Amino acid sequence: MPFATRIHKPLIHLFFLLFSVVSLMPFVLVFMVSITDESSIVQNGYSFFPSKLNFASYQFLFNDFGQIARSYGVTILVTLLGTTISLFITALFAYPLSRKDLPLRRTMSFILFFTMLFSGGMVPWYITYVTMVGLKNSLFGMIIPNLLMSAFNVLLMRSFFANTIPESIIESGTIDGANELTIFLKLVVPLSAPIMATIALFNLLAFWNDWYNCMLFIDKPELINIQYLMTKTLNNIQFLVMKADSSSQVGELLAKMPTEGVRMALAIIGIAPLLIAYPFFQKYYISGITSGAVKG
Amino acid sequence: MKKKMYTLLALLMVVMLVLPACGQKSNDSKKAGENSSTSSEGEGVTKLEPYKLTLVYPGDAQKDLALVQEEMSKYLTEKINATIELKPIDWGSWTDKTNLMKISGESFDLMFTAGWFGYGLDVSKGQFLELTNLLKNQGKDIPTVLGDDFIKGSQISGKSYGVPTKKEFAQGFGFLLNKALVDKYQFNTEGVKTLEEMEEMFKTIKENEPGIVPVVSNKFANTWGAANYDNSMISRDSKELKIIDTLEDPKFIDFLKRMRQWNLNGWFDKDVVTSDTSGQADNMIKSGKAFAIGQSLKPGKDKEMTVTMGLPLVQVETALPYTTTGEANGAMLAISRTSKDPERAMMFLNMLYTDAKLLNMLDWGIEGKHYVKISDNMIDYPEGVTADTQGYSSPGGWMFGNQFISYLWANEDSDKWEQFEKFNASAERSIALGFTFDETPVKAEMAAVSNVDKEFQMVLNAGAIDDVEGTIAKYKAKRDAAGFQKVQEERQRQLDEWAKASQ
Repeated sequence: MPFATRIHKPLIHLFFLLFSVVSLMPFVLVFMVSITDESSIVQNGYSFFPSKLNFASYQFLFNDFGQIARSYGVTILVTLLGTTISLFITALFAYPLSRKDLPLRRTMSFILFFTMLFSGGMVPWYITYVTMVGLKNSLFGMIIPNLLMSAFNVLLMRSFFANTIPESIIESGTIDGANELTIFLKLVVPLSAPIMATIALFNLLAFWNDWYNCMLFIDKPELINIQYLMTKTLNNIQFLVMKADSSSQVGELLAKMPTEGVRMALAIIGIAPLLIAYPFFQKYYISGITSGAVKG
Repeated sequence: MKKKMYTLLALLMVVMLVLPACGQKSNDSKKAGENSSTSSEGEGVTKLEPYKLTLVYPGDAQKDLALVQEEMSKYLTEKINATIELKPIDWGSWTDKTNLMKISGESFDLMFTAGWFGYGLDVSKGQFLELTNLLKNQGKDIPTVLGDDFIKGSQISGKSYGVPTKKEFAQGFGFLLNKALVDKYQFNTEGVKTLEEMEEMFKTIKENEPGIVPVVSNKFANTWGAANYDNSMISRDSKELKIIDTLEDPKFIDFLKRMRQWNLNGWFDKDVVTSDTSGQADNMIKSGKAFAIGQSLKPGKDKEMTVTMGLPLVQVETALPYTTTGEANGAMLAISRTSKDPERAMMFLNMLYTDAKLLNMLDWGIEGKHYVKISDNMIDYPEGVTADTQGYSSPGGWMFGNQFISYLWANEDSDKWEQFEKFNASAERSIALGFTFDETPVKAEMAAVSNVDKEFQMVLNAGAIDDVEGTIAKYKAKRDAAGFQKVQEERQRQLDEWAKASQ
């Protein structure tokens, strides 16, 4: 091994080790606060080494588990449904775009690209979905708007198809008498596992983390997803703190909000499943992005 | 050539997307206007059609919301042949959600609003109906219950767009003190204390209680400011409607110097500049590490805060109660322009001020299920129910109607409302009661000025800078550069106009 590499490698490793530690710290802290005794938080603030441990926050959450369980159910259902439909639609759009013999290919690409640059604006967007499509208080309100198809994902997938699937494979299919659908399902899809997994992971994350649609389109407590359940608690507190000077009643409202520990425990409960799911995708994740990007 | 076509196409699409949105909005408001004018002509209709009212207010959706809603609807059907939908929206998403509801023309009847909660802005946008006629007809009990000052204080340019909740109609000013220490040193907390008297207390604490911070956070400066100026614009002592600059008022400069002295005496906590916003100040009070915190007061505030903070507190006043526009429009209900039946909405409002049964249902839920009566106007939790397990925790009695007819909880003073009456009557009215400053004409300047304020106010209020006068001079120079004079002129102009209109 040349000298330079011998020095460089440990340095680079050290850098990334430190980087990982720095990224992990906040999570560890959140977890520690969630199991810290409330009086200890009040007296000493957040700490990695709490003077007194207490699992009361989790007990509190599990006492009234109905809402959390429901929200979990909503999130999981929406994520699974959304990811599947979204992956399906994205692939069905990206594949034809990758074929040079598609009529109107440029126009369709342009329309796709156009949505990346411009949007209709918040208000028309909202009016369309609420008054014309009627998505208020429906599960689809958390699936369709914004999240169902991302132009970026379509472009990513298109370049994967265009560059990794040799044209001769498609030709061979045609020669053997396969129709377009068979070619797509039997030849192209099996060869595209990396990009499919990548896009699926993107979608999964987007659906899992989304609270904005839920905030806008959902009023009924039984349809609230887990992310919004957390976000709204934090938002409420933030908002009330901001307004605390303007009205004496706001202070009383603030006092009724969940304690620090409970908020942190909620955050932990919200991210746990993703942490578990992530490693399974990671294998495909990297190859998916690079093969799409480098050759595109 | 092709590129040009694309640009053209893109432009065209943008225009197409933007135009319909504008068009729709103006159409809607026109329609609403027509509606209300035609329907108000049809007065004296004897039989009421069934109608569903929608009430939008900030708060959490409660577990038993549907039950309460049903019970209220039953009662309302008997009285005014209406049912009701309660629509709580989370505080944190209120702005986003309600803005979209308003702009998209969603139909709802009543909405909570307040001076600190976008009332002025919504009125200037025409979101709320003007209530003068409705108050004369369907809502004629409301002005009697509220009295003139309340109505006048909540008006904009002499017109009512919302009806205020009858609650405390003034602000008291002072400190919350740790009761254990007050008892230990036998401090007298009766009556209004001067700052010198307060300083005696702080000194005693500083000398005898080494682990305890006498005054926590710079919050008291805000309290003091609110006690001496109407909205930092008009001096409380002045009898003349004149906008002043607090930084030029010798009284205020003296106060800031006093804060500097307090800081030098070591009476503040070490994070005094930020401890209020970070929540650390509250935590220090909770854990008994601090003696006093500045606070706006009302009768029984200390009892409330004792429950909140989890340790006994006592309140002490440093100024007499004062009423400004902010108190009059501190909590209101308004009727939306998208209401399909404003008369019915007003009938409902009228009931909130006169019908104790309805109001208490909205405030506390269903008798026997969410509360039991222990005397005529006192209630408590039913057996086996606690604050944590109840299905309908109150959205807040201060948001709706006449708080003085709502029940009191077993742990409250039974004469709370009499105390409130007394407090309201004793408060000094600001000469500019009813004046609301409309920021729109000087919005940019206001934003710039408030940035400068942020930079200086915190440190000055905390007495964290040695050279008070020099800092004030710097502060003023920076603020002038941000356009402060223009803001002041606009304020004076609006105030003059208001004075003319309200004479």
